[in-house]
Amino acid sequence: MSRTDSAIRTETLYRHPPHRVWRALTDSDALATWLMPNDFVPELGHRFTFRTQPVPPYFDGVVHCEVTELEPPKTLAYTWCGMPGMNTVVRWELTEIDDGTLLVCTHSGFDLTEESHLKTFRSMSGGWGGRKMVAALDRVLTELAV
Amino acid sequence: MPATDVYAAIADPTRRRILDLLATAARSVTDLAAPFQMSRPAVSQHLRVLREAGLVSEHRAGRQRIYQLEPAGLREVDLWLRSYQRFWQTKFAALGDYLEATDEQD
Repeated sequence: MSRTDSAIRTETLYRHPPHRVWRALTDSDALATWLMPNDFVPELGHRFTFRTQPVPPYFDGVVHCEVTELEPPKTLAYTWCGMPGMNTVVRWELTEIDDGTLLVCTHSGFDLTEESHLKTFRSMSGGWGGRKMVAALDRVLTELAV
Repeated sequence: MPATDVYAAIADPTRRRILDLLATAARSVTDLAAPFQMSRPAVSQHLRVLREAGLVSEHRAGRQRIYQLEPAGLREVDLWLRSYQRFWQTKFAALGDYLEATDEQD
């Protein structure tokens, strides 16, 4: 069992070269089109937010981020904090394959067993052990995704 | 609904290690107490919390109680991760659409 620090890995091979995929990942307007409205700037240490519709009282609609890795056109990483106590990291890796790009996204640091997370979950969900919040977040993420 | 919530049950490091041990095989309280240098009643107390959270089940084998992992109990924890998994899968598709739509412009 390795649930204490679970990561989500998503990968796809696009038929577009790395420089185009990199631009889609690092251009604020492009990001707004396919991910979320943001004030991203490709600078190490830059703090920015992604914004979407809030889901009161669980989620204020703001994801706080900070660029932690930047190596064009290969690696990009930023912290991803969607709620107090959430300290996850989103890391993008681009690999050129033929004329296309293998894009790998690893979203790590989902530590539900950490005390601070547990407290957040419980306070946000009125002692329901996070069920209501998880359900609400599931809804908003599903809706966002459409 | 379980009497004890999953998050509280797995917040304790000892209980997480018990779950790790049970992930490899079903075990008795004696088996579980050995690696922890804990009394059997203390281990039994942790097992009770895990049982109430629906994470482990017990059955009798002769004079012993055998505990085993109930993976279904972890479903709740997985829900959060699965939400994000779906989120990123859909965003990858949206990125693909974006790349196609802007192909001529670059």
